[in-house]
Amino acid sequence: MTTIVALILQLVLVLLLSPLTIGLVRWFKARLQGRLGAPPWIVYTALLTTLKKQHVISENVSWVFRFVPFAVLGMAAFLVLSLPLLFSNGGLPQIDLFILAGVLSLGSVFLVFGGLDAGTAFGGMGASREMTIAALVEPVALITFSAFAVVAGSSSIQDVFGNGMSVFSHPALVLSFAALVLVALAENARYPVDNPATHLELTMVHEAMLLEYSGPYLAMLEYASSIKLTVFLVLLGNLIWVKPSAALAPEAIGLAAAGILSTLIVGSFALALLESSIAKMRFFRLQEYMSVAFFLSLSGFILVFLL
Amino acid sequence: MSFFIPYLLFASLSLTVISGIAALGGRAMIFHKLSQIFLALSGLLGMAASVAVFLSPEIGMRVSIASAKFSPVFGLDLFGAVFFFLVSLVSVLCAVYAVPYLRSYRTTYHLPSLNALVAAFVLGMQIVIVSTGPFPFMIGWEIMSLASFFLVVSDRSAESVRAALLYLVMTHLGAAAILAAFLLLAQGSFFADFSLLTNLAGTAPAWVLPVSFGLFLFGFGSKSGLVPFHVWLPEAHPAAPSHVSALMSGVMLKIAIYGFLRVTLFLLPPIGTTASLVILGFGLLTALYGVLYAALDRDFKRTLAFSSIENIGLIFTMIGISFFAASRGLEVLFEVVFSAAVFFTIAHALFKSGLFLISGVVVRAFHSRSLEKMGGLSKRLPVFSAFFCILALAAASLPPFGPFFGEWMFFQSLLGHFSLHDPFVNAILLLTFAISALVGGLAIFAMVKLFALSMLAESRSPENALEHCERPAWGEMFSIGVFTLSVLLLGPFAPAVMALIRGEAAVPSLWLLSVGSAAIQPSVLLLFLFACVLAVWILRRLMSRVEHERAYHRWDCGAPVNASMEYTATAFSAPIRFFFRLILRTKKSVDVLPVLATNPWIASKSFNMNLRSIWMDFGYLPLGRFFIGLSLQVKKIQSGNIRFYLFLIFAALILTLRIAL
Amino acid sequence: MYILNLFQTLFLGPKVTEHPSAFASDDELETAGSELKRIIDALYGGRSLRIRAVDGGSTNAEEIELTALGNAYYDIERFGLSFVASPRHADMLFVTGPVTRNLETAVKTTYEATPHPCIVVAVGDGACTGGIWKDSYAVVGAVENVIPVHLKIPGDPPSPAQILKALMGVLKHPA
Repeated sequence: MTTIVALILQLVLVLLLSPLTIGLVRWFKARLQGRLGAPPWIVYTALLTTLKKQHVISENVSWVFRFVPFAVLGMAAFLVLSLPLLFSNGGLPQIDLFILAGVLSLGSVFLVFGGLDAGTAFGGMGASREMTIAALVEPVALITFSAFAVVAGSSSIQDVFGNGMSVFSHPALVLSFAALVLVALAENARYPVDNPATHLELTMVHEAMLLEYSGPYLAMLEYASSIKLTVFLVLLGNLIWVKPSAALAPEAIGLAAAGILSTLIVGSFALALLESSIAKMRFFRLQEYMSVAFFLSLSGFILVFLL
Repeated sequence: MSFFIPYLLFASLSLTVISGIAALGGRAMIFHKLSQIFLALSGLLGMAASVAVFLSPEIGMRVSIASAKFSPVFGLDLFGAVFFFLVSLVSVLCAVYAVPYLRSYRTTYHLPSLNALVAAFVLGMQIVIVSTGPFPFMIGWEIMSLASFFLVVSDRSAESVRAALLYLVMTHLGAAAILAAFLLLAQGSFFADFSLLTNLAGTAPAWVLPVSFGLFLFGFGSKSGLVPFHVWLPEAHPAAPSHVSALMSGVMLKIAIYGFLRVTLFLLPPIGTTASLVILGFGLLTALYGVLYAALDRDFKRTLAFSSIENIGLIFTMIGISFFAASRGLEVLFEVVFSAAVFFTIAHALFKSGLFLISGVVVRAFHSRSLEKMGGLSKRLPVFSAFFCILALAAASLPPFGPFFGEWMFFQSLLGHFSLHDPFVNAILLLTFAISALVGGLAIFAMVKLFALSMLAESRSPENALEHCERPAWGEMFSIGVFTLSVLLLGPFAPAVMALIRGEAAVPSLWLLSVGSAAIQPSVLLLFLFACVLAVWILRRLMSRVEHERAYHRWDCGAPVNASMEYTATAFSAPIRFFFRLILRTKKSVDVLPVLATNPWIASKSFNMNLRSIWMDFGYLPLGRFFIGLSLQVKKIQSGNIRFYLFLIFAALILTLRIAL
Repeated sequence: MYILNLFQTLFLGPKVTEHPSAFASDDELETAGSELKRIIDALYGGRSLRIRAVDGGSTNAEEIELTALGNAYYDIERFGLSFVASPRHADMLFVTGPVTRNLETAVKTTYEATPHPCIVVAVGDGACTGGIWKDSYAVVGAVENVIPVHLKIPGDPPSPAQILKALMGVLKHPA
């Protein structure tokens, strides 16, 4: 019973906070560009507005196109339910890093299907790029997670991210942490892999796959990507200073929720700073990014054994 | 009931023979149907026999013909039963599939001979598994090889003949290597059975074992498509009719793995670290090379063939790791990874056969094997494409489908055995882990490409072929559906299957897989994933009750777009081609020919891209040129002068006498 | 060093954005159509709308002014408005220029491709009335000849401040 309450609390909190994350990143970015920017909570209104709109569905799409938003948002919900975000033992105890990596890829795969189904050139281009990135990020994610698992002594996600293991208590993880940051940037289609604010179709990766979606489907896909960003920020935060609550006591939950909120604020500021100070990489230069990430994760793994 | 069980096996083999004979009855459709019915019956009996062995493995099953002098004694133990079950299951479903499938190719193939050859092919595989000595083993092997050779040429096109000849050469080099290895081990008593051979292997001279291991590795490796002996596979598998491709890729490759495991586990003494690292090296090379070409290739069936190469590479990687663990005394790692390898073999047989059956329907719909001409089938055949989607996701080893749990056990046991004290073991495990993870990622790319480009968007062929495309018949949908269902159920029932193949090390209870400290309930994972998607669907229904959907053509930026502007397979895989260009060495050229001599800007341009095979270009072709050059040199003595020949004969005589005396 | 300079500019640089009161609406724009009011009420008062700019054959003058809306002086994003890449995502269409015969279909299909409810804004004299090209053989004329228009922003071209003023007159902006 307490597990279910904990699960629902975690689900509600993360689902409520995730649009705020996107809003915060945009707000910080606007401030860094010398603009005032929209208030962070405008994203909620944006999602509600999109929900109120019509679907315009291309005539030549199949069932896959309609199934994709459900699958992608379902995978995001799976992540929220199964990871230690608010509670250190939240979700299924058996979710391990291989399943986490698999579900992340599954989400990308469905997004790619959605991008290709309308049959426009831009959708196909985004799909091809996203699939390349997902296919090359998956091994990096696996190796990085494994390094954490070796240190934690267990491959369970709860033991890796939920038990207060941090980069400070285990300095050997510093390279793996860097690799995990690279994974998070690539998975969430941020700089330098993708520009989330671009209007130029030729430079798009993630946006290009969504070009055909409208109305509630679009809202679902955008919501899913905001959830994914939130989850990654919280996981990274767990590895630095935040510790999820271990019990269902109000003060512990309050502390953990405050931790999540502070992670999101600091994390989105860091992300905005990064996006304001570096340029997006040309897509065909991403092989360097991917190679750096791959060898960084391998070196991180070796470092774990050496120290 | 138990009285009948030994006869099940015999009846299964006999029915396969009857199926072949029935096929030869004539060109009438009734003989075609009869042949498939007998083949399906044979498969059903075979499945029953295997299940009987699963349930009471200590008894096994032996069929002996006592009166014959050199009686080939057939038997089925637990290890063989796993593979026999796969052969039976796939042949049943292929037979059901073939009834309507071959009807639409009546004019292309000569049905009586094709069906007879399929029966012979299945019979060969059955004999290989049930034989208990090298002699029947080699006979079965030869029947299987020859039948599949003729099946590859069955459409009689020049391309198929080329592929088949390459296949014939490679498979017979392999068969010769296996035969030589058996002869070396048997030391003269070729008609001995395997148990005697095991004893002989124990007393063999020191040089025999490594040599026969190498010969076995080459022989079975060339049959299963280990790089660099794989060159025939991507040519031969796609050339055959699709249900035969399913048998070849789904089962014949498994027979080679069966043979290799039979030999290394039961015949040779435990193999050492070096030999296991050789297996591991070949496995990793095969997996990486296979998956890269699977991601790049633009031919539907060749992509599947390359994906088979990749999967075989993974299986050999697992086998290599488990033997490596055994040689290092890591008993648990050996057991778990070995059963993971067998589990993955089963999973591969299921999804790859299913995918090849799908390729039959797809290729028939588009009249082409090229992915560049496909697209848009999912709108026309939604159920079919849903089956395809599940099989493709399973083939990409994504959760929650069956094959994922094979890889899961493999990765988990690698992760659990990184130890702090043995840097050598660590290095090997880390290398394997890294390359397998990379292969896993690229495998997703390959499968997504295959599904998305053939099913989604609109047909890319200029003449709209889909207007009159033939819908899959019930028989075809049944077989594909059963494969899909089996792949879907292989997930939740993974622990049960593991228990059945005696991989107890990983199965504490019937619903739980466990490796080291990690445990997972595949059924819960499956339900949880489905529940998440379902919850989203319900929420969506609640959130916006009104169905306000409007159909309008796709966003075209104001100018109409058509199917020729869609992203193609070449374009889709371009990033991978670019990122791995140092390994792949793809040749791309644009030829510019000026149309007018006076104006260089008016020119006709032609684009050409060659996805060449580096093993063919840098391995086999130079080797072939070397031999041709050598024979040209030798040919110089063929002068046509009879006195010179007499001198040669005389010289040879002298030389012989000199050696003999 | 370069990065330090960048940060200095970002954090300590002058605050240049105009105060929202600079765009306080004129009375005449309060007289928006009832259709427009209904749509804006349905979309949460237009607190967050996405704009797709459609070129119906303008001289690019309007486009330059629209681009200026995104800079630090006008900063249209603070009012919850942003430009998007696909009409499928848009809540609002900014149509510019007298609709030429070549681009008539493009304007029409863009409108059809946008999920309704959707606000159509005619930006510039050309879009409002046909401007100096009115009655030319090459143009269809004002945007309302092709698709329904909810809001007209005259000017040749209208300055960013004028555009913002017009929008603020009808939307309930959050700032």
